[in-house]
Amino acid sequence: MSETTGPASPVRNRRPFLGGASGQVGLLAIVAIFWFIFSTLAPGFLSSFNLYALGRSLAVDIVIGFSQMVVLATGGMNLAVGSIGVCAVMAAGFLLQDLGLPISVGFAGALLLGGALGWLNGFAIVKTGVNAFIITLASASLFLGAMLILTKAVPYNGLPPEIGAFGRARLFGIVSPLLIIAIAIGAALVVLYRFTALGRQILAAGANPRAAAMSGVPVDRVIVISHVLSGMLAAAAGLMVVTRLGAAMPATGGEEWLLPSFLGPVLGGTLLSGGSVAVIGTMIGAALVTTIRSGLLVLQIGNFWLQLFLGLILLFAVLVDRYRSVYAERRSVGVKS
Amino acid sequence: MVLTIESVSKAFPGVQALDGVSLDLKPGEIHALMGENGAGKSTLIKIITGLHQPDSGRVLLNGEPVHFASPRDAIGAGISAVHQERNLIPRFSVGENILLERPPTRGGMIDYDTINRDARKWLDMLDRGIDTRAEVRTLSVAQMQIVEIAKALSLEAKILLMDEPTASITEHETAALFTLLKRLRENGVAIIFVSHKLEEVFAIADRVTVLRDGKNAAVGEPMTTMTRDKLVSLMIGRKERIAVLGERNADMADVVLEARDLSTSDGHRNIDLALHRGEILGLYGLVGAGRSELARAILGGAEITSGELRLHDKPVRIRDMHEALSKYRLGYISEDRKAEGLILMHSVRENIAITIWRKLAGFLGLISGARESRAVEPFVEKLEIRTPSLAQTVGNLSGGNQQKVSIAKWLAANAEILIVDEPTVGIDIKTKTDIHELLGEIARDGVSIILISSDMPEMVAVADRILVMHGFRIVGEVANDHQYETASKAIMACIHAVEDDEPTSAG
Repeated sequence: MSETTGPASPVRNRRPFLGGASGQVGLLAIVAIFWFIFSTLAPGFLSSFNLYALGRSLAVDIVIGFSQMVVLATGGMNLAVGSIGVCAVMAAGFLLQDLGLPISVGFAGALLLGGALGWLNGFAIVKTGVNAFIITLASASLFLGAMLILTKAVPYNGLPPEIGAFGRARLFGIVSPLLIIAIAIGAALVVLYRFTALGRQILAAGANPRAAAMSGVPVDRVIVISHVLSGMLAAAAGLMVVTRLGAAMPATGGEEWLLPSFLGPVLGGTLLSGGSVAVIGTMIGAALVTTIRSGLLVLQIGNFWLQLFLGLILLFAVLVDRYRSVYAERRSVGVKS
Repeated sequence: MVLTIESVSKAFPGVQALDGVSLDLKPGEIHALMGENGAGKSTLIKIITGLHQPDSGRVLLNGEPVHFASPRDAIGAGISAVHQERNLIPRFSVGENILLERPPTRGGMIDYDTINRDARKWLDMLDRGIDTRAEVRTLSVAQMQIVEIAKALSLEAKILLMDEPTASITEHETAALFTLLKRLRENGVAIIFVSHKLEEVFAIADRVTVLRDGKNAAVGEPMTTMTRDKLVSLMIGRKERIAVLGERNADMADVVLEARDLSTSDGHRNIDLALHRGEILGLYGLVGAGRSELARAILGGAEITSGELRLHDKPVRIRDMHEALSKYRLGYISEDRKAEGLILMHSVRENIAITIWRKLAGFLGLISGARESRAVEPFVEKLEIRTPSLAQTVGNLSGGNQQKVSIAKWLAANAEILIVDEPTVGIDIKTKTDIHELLGEIARDGVSIILISSDMPEMVAVADRILVMHGFRIVGEVANDHQYETASKAIMACIHAVEDDEPTSAG
């Protein structure tokens, strides 16, 4: 059967850093190495309180990564994840504190706002045909500016106490319910991309929009839906921060989410060019980000170092990826060297 | 010998592409390189041009062993090539693309006058209709191919490699190319010519080297000793099979698709056509006649400015392919399978099931993988798609099998009307016959087909009726008698009749 895999057009379907199951094992190993280093240098790293705090911020990082991953799947991007997140945060504050609505209604409203802002992004991208980079760069600023004007950047500190209590809750002593929620969202996304018509269409539209359109996939619609999903996930991440702080703070999200939002999916093996996602990989990638942040905190190395480290990790990831693909190619064509 | 290949081998992951292949090329000859898809022709061309490195064996240039690390080295050594894949920069002009490696300058600035003049010189030998200032992305597939050829010619190399240069151009342009190649041969240029079209090889080649499954089936045999049957059996290892299309009875009382006096924003004028149930309606024309554009206009890609499009005797306007498929069961098999027919990085299963995901989805939109496979398998079997598994990445299949996948998805979608655009471009003889028989079979099952093709033998073999297009109009209809001589003459008569009326469109 060798001729069926004809060499006429050997397509290299390699993924960015550490794609596939073997790559995710490698990524997990890197996370483990960092755990080993941090716990050796600072025994407090493995304290039950730190593990609990780590799990709680991991939950937020995972969902931020997902909100970027769902648009990367279409070959686009969303630079407004942080802005949508903080808009949802302040909307929740407004609905709960100023209007006194029940928690479920307030949170649902915040998620809807996130979805609506995502829809605006998607609609603008599809209707104008302008690159997602430009549209979401503009909307990131627009959403954030509008939020600051409307709220005057005043935090909502008087939220119902149940919210803070939920954020502080512990299952089995060390597990935050937020982490369970993040994992549940991940499971839902696996189902979406692997087992639903919509998920398949999103990936097809991301891999080759023209071919997908010519096969009857409503490409514009699936792009808009992906942006709605991205907005809702960004809002969900924002609400997780609200439960953690017990308050709606205008300093949540924003640009601070941008790098982590890309790091998780890219480290995990999601293709920037679209058409392929790695849900589990994104979770492990987020774990690396959270681990480094937490480790630097425990070691009492300043926050300034965090950015530098995350940048280095991203570069390192790209280099390793490059090396791996060259090595794999050499080995497979039997060059002796 | 100007170029000698000595038992070159090359392996790719999972496949031995070339296994001890040899070839020798003399100055002033046209040397045909033939073989089925996946036989290793393109790999050999890529080794000669430095795109791939051989695992073993040698390449000798004028008796000296050479080692090309990159295409640039090969160009430097006087080897130029037209590859199967397009290598043009879409947003650069035609002229800039042709003179890409060595743009003429004046005072340190790019000299556009010279670019346009030089590019014009080479283009004029093939096709006067292409503007050197046009951006390449605005050209048709055929025009891009002409630009590729002009680019290779403009290097004025001593060795010219052409990998299926005629796959997507018309007979007119092919004839111009052949005249040019013969002139180059007289000037001592050595040419390797890869083609699937036997007629072309017999028309132009001096010698032939045949590859089969990565090995030499023939090395430098003179064409004078070659017959069509012998060449085919060398290529496929047995005798050629003639497409058996069988009797079909189109229901001429049932018009499924009709255009009445249709004009479009693309420039079509007063198009009248009627497609009947179970009929294969041929749409023949030279490149630029507006055939693919008409297909796109029907599918919502261009605006209908006047006239009517009717499906099942009701006027319709189709917005896009999604609507065409879901509302009218209309399918379209693109001439450009890599760009818009297939999703190369996805699996065979996904590429076929893409049209039916909505139908397969059950509770909450969920699709079971087993159900998807069951839906896809019959078509993989029916079309004899050779793939190790349904999970195989489509990009790793041979061209013929890729094309079968892009047809399979419309059969899976149970399309009633299929527009098939150049279905056998760049596809080997056996698969081509398979596809012709398949079209006949699905038409017999009641599917109505519009076949767009510039391949005259294909048109004559497959179509029931042939409409001839020229200049975005339909200029004649030929009742196909399936006799090549008479049918092709009738078709060309339609075109010549209008060309004589339009002295301005000389060329």
